[in-house]
Amino acid sequence: MSHQEKAAPSSADMGLFERYLSLWVAAAIVAGIALGQWAPAIPEALSRFEYAQVSIPIAVLIWAMIFPMMAQIDFSAIAGVRRQPKGLAITTTVNWLIKPFTMFALAWLFFMVIFKPWIPDALASQYLAGAILLGAAPCTAMVFVWSYLTRGDAAYTLVQVALNDLIMLFAFAPIVVFLLGISNIQVPWDTVLLSVVLYIVIPLAAGYLTRKTLIAKRGADWYDNVFMKRIGPVTPMGLIITLVLLFAFQGDVILNNPLHIVLIAIPLILQTFLIFFIAYGWAKAWRVPHNIAAPGAMIGASNFFELAVAAAIALFGLQSGAALATVVGVLVEVPLMLALVRIANNTRQHFPTHA
Amino acid sequence: MDPIIEIEEKAAAFIKQQGGVVTVRFSPRHGCCGGTSRIAIAETSTPKETSTFECHQMEETTLWIAPELTYQGLRLRVEGWWKLQRLFVDGAPLRAGH
Repeated sequence: MSHQEKAAPSSADMGLFERYLSLWVAAAIVAGIALGQWAPAIPEALSRFEYAQVSIPIAVLIWAMIFPMMAQIDFSAIAGVRRQPKGLAITTTVNWLIKPFTMFALAWLFFMVIFKPWIPDALASQYLAGAILLGAAPCTAMVFVWSYLTRGDAAYTLVQVALNDLIMLFAFAPIVVFLLGISNIQVPWDTVLLSVVLYIVIPLAAGYLTRKTLIAKRGADWYDNVFMKRIGPVTPMGLIITLVLLFAFQGDVILNNPLHIVLIAIPLILQTFLIFFIAYGWAKAWRVPHNIAAPGAMIGASNFFELAVAAAIALFGLQSGAALATVVGVLVEVPLMLALVRIANNTRQHFPTHA
Repeated sequence: MDPIIEIEEKAAAFIKQQGGVVTVRFSPRHGCCGGTSRIAIAETSTPKETSTFECHQMEETTLWIAPELTYQGLRLRVEGWWKLQRLFVDGAPLRAGH
């Protein structure tokens, strides 16, 4: 039996941690709230370590989350940019010309209009800001897992991640500033640029240099199978510890408004499905093969949460509604994406097998 | 029966130009929320640890390949231009990484 004929992978092929990510995030929320209520001295002490309004412990945790992902990006994959032009045209257009704006529109509609009776105006603006940050950052690492689960083309997945990360370097800040601006949420350009430098440029440069240096010194096989194996799990650990700390500051907001998590989740869930179906439907209309269409639709449906959380904390603070909104994105990520994996696998027959 | 791995003419020329050795192996990619998947990649070098690879001589090319990637209907191709040329493994889906 050739690999094409094997049964589609399923969520059972995922490890325990990622399969139950929502549970760990929920546990981090509870642990963080408990820490903030019963031992407030700990988060307060940590928040005092600041330099130029950047919390050093948070910055270290965010680098711990982002660096391993940046260290595995193979920018030489950009060389394959001409190989699947339809797939790349769809994913690039959806990720950068559609996704940030549909996220903004949905979040504005729900937080500023539909949910107005339940969310105070100031908090609604904060949630809108968090949603904008989520919408401006497409997935950069988890898409490999989603691509695997839909039997996506490995080489294409590498190319689209490298291309999106390069675009993100230049497009994230202008999109965020523009959408926050039209939402009347003022953030200084220099603060946005500082967070881009701190949480994209520095980890990206460090990851690139680490990859180049270590591969030259120890070989690519060692880099992949020893070094990355050691530092890869740091990302989800960093994520969970950051969430505990974040919720230590967010305790009062959550305890006073427990319904807000559900309200924030609604536009985020709608956006995930909307972006998936735009890219997937477009790929079907252009007769793009399924192994390109599925990962092409998954990358925009999923988000680069670590960057969104980092930018929200840098721009609005640990206790902000914006930071809370970005975390709700993490909370709903895995169940939603697994639902999309199921949809993609069940509609495979409607797509051509080859270009 | 499929060949061990098909090497396209341009890819064979590229490998020859780079020293005549190619390694085809899995490279893991870690998800930000946990999870790992493995991508088949090709490099024009000899692996540091050869014991986990099969070695085959294919015309002028010495091929080091992970056993799981043999006879899978895969093709080695070259993409890009000038200094940005690189090999890639066509036809390989991602695999579970754990």
